[in-house]
Amino acid sequence: MSSSLHLSQLRKWILESPPIEWSIHRLRQLIIAALRQGPIPQHVAFVMDGNRRFARTHHIETVEGHSLGFESLAKILEFCYKSGVKVVTVYAFSIENYKRSKYEVDALMEMAKVKLNQLSQHGQLLARYGACIRVLGQREMIRPDVLKAVDRAIELTKNNGTCFLNICFPYTSRAEITSAIQKTVEDYSKPLSSLARPFSQTRITQKILSKNLGTTPPRASSPTPSNTSDIDDSMSSTTTLHQESPNGGREASIYPDPETITPETIEQNLLTAGDPPLDLLIRTSGVKRLSDFMMWQCHQGTEIVFLDCLWPEFDLWQFLPVMLEWQWKQKHLEQEESGNALKRSKTKLK
Amino acid sequence: MPIAKKETAVYRRDAKLNHGLLTPAEREKLLEKPTKLNGVVVEASSKNHSRLGVRKFLKSQLHALLYAVLHTVFSIYIRIRQTYHGVKDRIFAILYYHHRTPELIQKDVKGLDRLPEHLSVILKLEDGGKGGAGLEAIVDEVAEISAWCSCVGIQTLSVYEKTGILKGYIPATHRAISRKLDSYLGPKQHSVSLRAPHMPSIESSTSTPSSDTTTVPIKNIKVLLLSAEDGRDSLVDLTKTLAEMSQRSKLSPKDISMELVDAELQESVMGEPDLLVLFSPSVELSGYPPWQMRLTEIYHVRDNQGVGYQVFLRALYNFANVQMRMGR
Repeated sequence: MSSSLHLSQLRKWILESPPIEWSIHRLRQLIIAALRQGPIPQHVAFVMDGNRRFARTHHIETVEGHSLGFESLAKILEFCYKSGVKVVTVYAFSIENYKRSKYEVDALMEMAKVKLNQLSQHGQLLARYGACIRVLGQREMIRPDVLKAVDRAIELTKNNGTCFLNICFPYTSRAEITSAIQKTVEDYSKPLSSLARPFSQTRITQKILSKNLGTTPPRASSPTPSNTSDIDDSMSSTTTLHQESPNGGREASIYPDPETITPETIEQNLLTAGDPPLDLLIRTSGVKRLSDFMMWQCHQGTEIVFLDCLWPEFDLWQFLPVMLEWQWKQKHLEQEESGNALKRSKTKLK
Repeated sequence: MPIAKKETAVYRRDAKLNHGLLTPAEREKLLEKPTKLNGVVVEASSKNHSRLGVRKFLKSQLHALLYAVLHTVFSIYIRIRQTYHGVKDRIFAILYYHHRTPELIQKDVKGLDRLPEHLSVILKLEDGGKGGAGLEAIVDEVAEISAWCSCVGIQTLSVYEKTGILKGYIPATHRAISRKLDSYLGPKQHSVSLRAPHMPSIESSTSTPSSDTTTVPIKNIKVLLLSAEDGRDSLVDLTKTLAEMSQRSKLSPKDISMELVDAELQESVMGEPDLLVLFSPSVELSGYPPWQMRLTEIYHVRDNQGVGYQVFLRALYNFANVQMRMGR
């Protein structure tokens, strides 16, 4: 028992001695630089799970566990940005988390205030890598004093534009998708301003009608080409053709065609609009659920990894295998694709 | 973050007092060490820039070499891991074989105090969508999984397959499932209802008068076939409908709530599954309905290839939070 204690003391002493510390630091830098030689995920998301459990197993206060979790986040951010990741999204606080004890929520909010300040200050981590903070989530659910800190952090980092840190703070994916749908519907229920165009529709209809009257078969020729040419245009024009009667009034205003809504339309209204597609999602602490996080973003080709370690323990040494596996898979995919392309070109040649 | 332990200790003490101990400038100083290290390196390399960037070249060579070494080591590791998992899965498969006997399957899950009500699986169509063999294999897989589910007592099974090829063969799939259940449970002991969203469901035709079967409980199973179009396309379709309604001022955009979307999707596609089992070597959802997997437990066996009873069983054990031992 005592010998093992001595050993661990010795190990600690060796690990903390300046030369060893320095060389470990150098090794980390070297590994990061080496990783940069391969493909790097452009967008990585983390569910920082396990702070509370870490605190419980190490007999420290829950808040302290969260604080250690923040340190871990800072380390990972440094690693990500150094290796070339453009966007890091972290799940900081779920809307559901408001249901936790008031004491913990308050402490978390206090911490968010302080840490946001600290992250965004001059010369700190985010400034060093040119990272810009964005807060995704229900802003109206944030306490006013915290909101002030949030805005300050956003303001301070808004000129950094090389990489991004998305902090999901009161966030749930369902709320995000719902508001994206809502925004899309709002966009599509704004009437198109027909005044902006210099052509009068009534004149055109009159022309068409007169032309149709002139050519002997009045119906057979005109509708078919106009239908095939352009779907959204033909829809609106046909409705106006029929609704030129005076009872049209306000109802006749032209709306964009709902059929032109695509998954991309909704994507543009999500909170992560403009970010590269999510390549990698990591959840720590062995829980194998998404828990309402990035559901839209991760359901296509994202690699989802569930790790057993708790978030405060999460470090380069846990992240490295994940990165390597991702790179390895990426290389295989590329090989497969080039193989397929070769096959295709061969069959074409035949 | 400071890198050295001593600095970290100071930083943590400061953090505990809500950063009242140190001024930002002092904190910056704490962090200076690593930046200085970097600074030295940067300076050195820039100084050597004039000497044809030899140092820079060597450095990039070193990085490329290290990258190659890392990946060589990693690919050896992954081969070993795959072999190890392959052997382990084989052993599991041999130890836990169901022999098509429902009693054996029921015995396997006896110790579990929690079973999913709604199980979902993701299957992959092999053979590049050429139909034929791939289709036959996937129909057989669906039938097998439904048989296991009905033996265990899971009532709802949803099968996600990206291309949606199964939706074109609903009657044939229904027949295959019924036949499989016959071979497991014996004829007329079960009823299957198979449906796909927006398509009429096919009920089991074995609804013989229930007078003689009252003593024997009939195993019911509902199977739902899903494809990529039930995923985000269903959300897009819902948005289209809502946009149209809003254009005709039948609804205001403010009325769109999470509950509304949830209710609509539950109605037209499905509710939240309790457990999602992947038979692929890693977790990739490949278009699985996003809305419905909020709290779904996602299970996969690392490096696993193909559908196997042992994966299904391990997923159930994992769901019930029970450690699985080798051997029964």
